[in-house]
Amino acid sequence: MRGLAEIAERLRRSSVQIIDRGGGGSGIVWDSEGRVLTNSHVLRGDEAHAIDANGQHFRARVVRRNRERDLALLETGRDLKPAMLGDSAALRAGQIVIAIGNPLGVHGAVVCGVVHANGPVGFGFPGNWIQADIRLAPGNSGGLLADAEGRVIGVNTMVFRGLGLAIPSNDAAAFVRYREARAA
Amino acid sequence: MATPNSLAELSRELAQAVETGGAGVVAVHGRPQVPSSGILWRDGIVVTTDHTLKRHEDITITLPNKTTLPATLAGRDPASDIAVLRINENAAPAAKLADEASVKVGNFVLALGRPGEYVTASFGVVSAFGTVRGPGRRLGHIDRLIRPDVCIYLGFSGGALVDAEGRVVGMNTSALGRGAAFTIPASTVSRTIEDLLSQGRIRRGFLGVGLQPVRLPDGRTGLIILSIELDGPASRAGIFVGDVLLSLEGQAVNDTDDVQAHLGGDRIGKPITAEIVRGGAPLSLTVVPGERHAGGPQ
Repeated sequence: MRGLAEIAERLRRSSVQIIDRGGGGSGIVWDSEGRVLTNSHVLRGDEAHAIDANGQHFRARVVRRNRERDLALLETGRDLKPAMLGDSAALRAGQIVIAIGNPLGVHGAVVCGVVHANGPVGFGFPGNWIQADIRLAPGNSGGLLADAEGRVIGVNTMVFRGLGLAIPSNDAAAFVRYREARAA
Repeated sequence: MATPNSLAELSRELAQAVETGGAGVVAVHGRPQVPSSGILWRDGIVVTTDHTLKRHEDITITLPNKTTLPATLAGRDPASDIAVLRINENAAPAAKLADEASVKVGNFVLALGRPGEYVTASFGVVSAFGTVRGPGRRLGHIDRLIRPDVCIYLGFSGGALVDAEGRVVGMNTSALGRGAAFTIPASTVSRTIEDLLSQGRIRRGFLGVGLQPVRLPDGRTGLIILSIELDGPASRAGIFVGDVLLSLEGQAVNDTDDVQAHLGGDRIGKPITAEIVRGGAPLSLTVVPGERHAGGPQ
């Protein structure tokens, strides 16, 4: 079967590694201006160190964050390849998902799984989540979760009872748009 | 499933399998907090795992169309971890069963659950077939457990293992193998449902002996009698501690599973021939299996 290797390679080019004091994680190249989306919990301060798929190191600066929804938008000023965006609301249980990240510091690692459920988690977690049957580890935080066509449908955020929980890409897009609306 | 030639195609087919199989997977509200899963096996009959059913009354079912209705417990068998519920509803489609002979090690499978309103899925392959061996675990009634390589999440037990076309291979449980994922094959589930509906329980025979495999000086293996239940079937047949059981009905017995194979519910009260060795000399005895009650000896 063809597909996975090419899709993974394309997704890796739209992923960055984020290194912060005592932590770090992953980020998603969101647009052609080189802005990067990640989890708020990945960054303690307002500046971080980032590494792109080619191993280039650069600085990234937080331009907006929402600690409750655990999202942060970074400016890099770099020419990075943006990820293709999917529709997280259309995702159904059983669909194949691919995560790219830097679990335990391994740069650009690819993992594959399926959608376990798409909706509320319960247990006091607010909002909707993409719940994935996939093996994530610390360092995947802020990284992308994509569908079988390589479109980003979630931001990997935490592991709960063995399930990978990702913020739906539609929520993440709303977070980015809100910032633009306010800035205008 | 046609041969998928792209990842996107396989993804669509797996999602379709979840939809097809999930139409027969229900939520079972029979324990505190999070519901467990069940399978709508046929009209008005839901099967679930025994260990997740923590009460006998006030059990309800949530169908895939999100309607919740009452269910009554029709029977349960802790040894095979199967419980049968009745509902007054024939609207939802029942599970479509896979052809058991076609299920092979390496096949793609999905574990489906419904711990609430929504169907959940995890993906893997059939890893192995076999029974669980070890002390305290008597599965007598299960033909051949399926060991799927899938993760166990909330609602796994009582849910369906489906093939890549959404057909039910069996019922999942985390309680038969020290927390590992196992699937009770559909044929065993069907047979147990019929037995529970007609009798309310699963009858199993017993001899009233404690056994341990031993090797005889001539190279044969048998089972040495370590203990005998007072007035049990073996005691009445004149079997003593220290006897070595070689065969039942002419078939060699090398471990306790071989003995269990002769102690199905249909053997209760019917004499069977036992070949033993006592003090080095062969001896033939007739023993009549009794009915074992939960927690009793073999």
